[in-house]
Amino acid sequence: MELFSLFISAIFINNIILNRFLGMCPFMGVSRKTSSALGMGGAVTFVIFFSSIITFGLYTYILEPFNLQYMDLITFILIIASFVQLVEMIIKKFSPSLYKSLGIFLPLITTNCAVLFVALENIKQGFNFTETVVYALAVPIGFTLVLIIFSSIRERLDIADVPQALKGNPVAMIVAAIMALAFSGLAGLV
Amino acid sequence: MIEAILLMLVMGTLLGFGLAVSGEVFYVKPDERFEKVLNLLPGYNCGACGYPGCQGMAEGLLSGEVTAVSQCKPSNAQQRTDISSYINENPGPDGKLLVVKP
Repeated sequence: MELFSLFISAIFINNIILNRFLGMCPFMGVSRKTSSALGMGGAVTFVIFFSSIITFGLYTYILEPFNLQYMDLITFILIIASFVQLVEMIIKKFSPSLYKSLGIFLPLITTNCAVLFVALENIKQGFNFTETVVYALAVPIGFTLVLIIFSSIRERLDIADVPQALKGNPVAMIVAAIMALAFSGLAGLV
Repeated sequence: MIEAILLMLVMGTLLGFGLAVSGEVFYVKPDERFEKVLNLLPGYNCGACGYPGCQGMAEGLLSGEVTAVSQCKPSNAQQRTDISSYINENPGPDGKLLVVKP
């Protein structure tokens, strides 16, 4: 039950984008088309899930026994960067069109603060392995969900009659703010 | 101190080795026409075609975005026919032939 509420709260209540305001760069950058938003969500899910598991193991079995906790940032980033390289190779091989539509935002997952946040939060909250797995799955699901909702709204906005001064990014910012307000209404859920 | 150095060394080696292996596994054969078309273009990187440089123009030609070499303003008639006939005769990695006007 506790795991379930952790799962739900990481997706909806403490949503990584709309509540923690992390990972804003792909949120604004790759949300023009739903298909590329889905691809970005998949790539981020892959990176967050596997890098969280590996950083958790690294921290518990190597950094802590050897009193090297101060090395967490540099080692975590090393692992995340390697995973992003791997994802880039895989996407380039199997979906060149997705590779093209993601463009610079694919290698930029390395510096996506959401990825590092999950790795560090697992340690800070003192999660055990099961909780780490659940959390590392729920956060990117919330990320993907918001990205897809936002991109489908933006697709509609493209054909809507928006005032000249607000066309493009400004109206997207307003939509993001309204979405954050709407999500904060879920705060009492868990 | 010594543990930290060892840790970074081991991690760097392992991750680097892993990426090298996956780089072999997921190797994508580059389009060999690209180099040839790039060499045939004038190489001024003037940007008159609408792309940031000749590399962009070569990619555009090979992806079918550009349908006429004349979009490259500084090219002469000889270069235009050379490029268009080269692209029209050589299929890409997917086996498809593009039709490009001089």
